[in-house]
Parts: sequence; structure tokens; C-alpha cells
Amino acid sequence: MSGTKVLRSLLHELRQASPNGCIKDNLAARYILAQYKKFETTDQQLCKARNEAIFLGQTYLTYLSSQRNYTELYKEFHGRGERSVRDTADLVGFKLPTDPK
Amino acid sequence: MNGKLMQGAIRALRLGSCSQWPASVARITVRAYATPPKRFYKKTSVLSSDGGYEVVLDHRKLKTPKGTPFLVRSEPLAIAVATEFDAQKEHIERSRMHLSALCFTAIDNPNNLTKLDMVNYLLNFIPTDTVLFQYDDEKDLQDLQLNEWDPVIAWFNQRYETNLQKTLNITPPQVSEEDKMKIAKHLHSYSLDTLHGFIFAVDTLKSIILACAVIEQMLTVEKAVALARLEEEYQLKFWGRVEWAHDLSQQELQSRLAAAVLFVHLNCSEYFVKQKSIL
Repeated sequence: MSGTKVLRSLLHELRQASPNGCIKDNLAARYILAQYKKFETTDQQLCKARNEAIFLGQTYLTYLSSQRNYTELYKEFHGRGERSVRDTADLVGFKLPTDPK
Repeated sequence: MNGKLMQGAIRALRLGSCSQWPASVARITVRAYATPPKRFYKKTSVLSSDGGYEVVLDHRKLKTPKGTPFLVRSEPLAIAVATEFDAQKEHIERSRMHLSALCFTAIDNPNNLTKLDMVNYLLNFIPTDTVLFQYDDEKDLQDLQLNEWDPVIAWFNQRYETNLQKTLNITPPQVSEEDKMKIAKHLHSYSLDTLHGFIFAVDTLKSIILACAVIEQMLTVEKAVALARLEEEYQLKFWGRVEWAHDLSQQELQSRLAAAVLFVHLNCSEYFVKQKSIL
């Protein structure tokens, strides 16, 4: 994955994760952008292992996206306990005795 | 513990055999989960203090479960933890905050582990490493393992100058003392905090070889998780994929491993910038 793509995906995930959907003054977004600025020309000159910066970015991207997918799956499939009488009645198209005819 | 279980079982038997007991008396056990704490803060930020970075929730400083103040040496790590706390919606889902949990474990060290304990734990993992147990009864699966796992084993042997051999039957692979010493030497070069992350990665992947490969950037996180679940993926092709089991476990493993890798990298990567002096 290229650097730009990782950056775009990272910002997308951060936007999804933030409570109000705005990452204008989000700490992580700012930090990542600053890092990108720093390693703009090369990420080898600053005594970092080859491609280390991009690897870290990808790992963080995996972390954020996996968390989001996990939460989505959990919400979809986790049991919410027993259905109420009304829910069951609605499910099979019955009416409760208290409902108007 | 066992005694209690036995007593419970005997009581259940007694309840079942006594016919004069009305059925309604038989207690229904309800599993009570602790409700997660509500999100009590609006904004999270990072403070730089002497010797490290702290996370602040509104105006309160974040503390570990043991009560010590949260303090990490790496700035990105603190930012990641602050972002994670900020990403919580109505409740703080602590069981899903792997990165924060890892930091807390490293700071608190609840089991009072020493470096030697942890290295021994990791060394004991080698004879039961996932990728060393291969299966030669099914041609397709064996080919898959040969193509996917063997290069990683070869890389590991070359990188650490060891000679680990895979096994094709139930007998565990033989690991010589010399190999163990070499791996132990490498592990001892990490700090205590970093080893917590290392153990987390190994426990997630059930393989020290894959964990080393992903920490040394030879594999990506997704690939390493896919390799650890190789046989599961293979069997899925015949038996079908169940979203709430297979996908859920895959996502969970990926986020756990990514947290561990981030933790290790951010804890042991230090770099300095050398600027050109303008004369």
C-alpha cells in the first residue's frame, strides 16, 4: 500500500472512530500528518529502518479498522436477551389483548 | 475451586432426584455481567511531563487499574491511548481497548513478572509453535503449509541463526539448548515493557516464529493472522464461513496483534534527527 493511501485510510478510520465525526483538532490526526510531513522526502534518512514509518502506519490502520469491524459484528450478532411478548406478537402478526381491534 | 464445583454438582443431582420439590424452586442461574462504566469525560488530551507523557480525560489524569498514574515514554503511544479513550461512545468498553490494556499491564505488571520469567515463558512456547506442526495426510493442506509456513520458518532460522525443524506427526519438534540460548539472548535485549507486548503477540498468534516475523516487519499484521489461522481458512472452503464466529475471531486477532506490534515498536524505537549545520 502506498503512503498516500495509508494516510487517507487512516484519516477515514479516525473520522469514523471520533465521537462527533470531526478530526479537525484530533490529536492523532495531527500527529500522523506531522509525521508525514517529516518523512515526506524519505523515511530512510532519519536513521529509521527502511519503511518503518509506513509499516507503523499500516499497523495502526489495521488496528483501527479491525476494532471497527469487530464492534460492528458484535452489535449485529450479540444476543439481546429474550424477546418481549409484544415483540413476539409482532413477529408472527398477532395482536395483544390490550391492543385495539 | 474443584470442591465447590463438586458440591454444586451434587446439589444439582439432589434437586433433580427429589420429586417433591416443585420445579419453580430450582434456581435459574443468570450470568450477571458488570456494566461498563459510562463515558464521564468529553475531551481527551495528552500532557507532556518530566520523563514521559500522560493522558488527560477532561481535567482528570488517567490512572491505571492499580491506581498509579498513567505515564508512558513514547508520545505516539500516549496519543493512541488518548484517541482510544476518545473513540468510546456511551460506555467505556475496556475489554476492547487492547492498546490501553497493554499499557496498563506494562505499567502495573500485576503478576510481578521479571524479565527472566517472561523469556522463559516465551522459550517454552517454541516446542508448541503453530507453524512447526504440519500435517501431511491431506495433499492440499500440506501444499498450503509448505508454501506459506516454510518460508517463515526459513527466515526465522536465518535471522536468529537457529535450526528449528518442523514436525509432521504428534511428537513435538526437538529444540536444542543452543537454539534456545540464541533466542533467549535476542529476547533479553528487549526491555521489560516491550516483552509484555511480545507475550501479547505470541499469545495471540500462538506462535513465536510468526510473532518475531511480524515484529521484524517481515509480515504485515493481516498476513500473520491469516498464517496463524491457516488451517481454519482451509477448512472454511469446505464447511462455509460463519460471520459471527470466523470473521469475529479474525478481527479480534488482528486488532490484538496490531496493538501488540504497535506497543513493541513505539516502546523500543528511538531515533534522533541530525540536522545539517548551516555555516
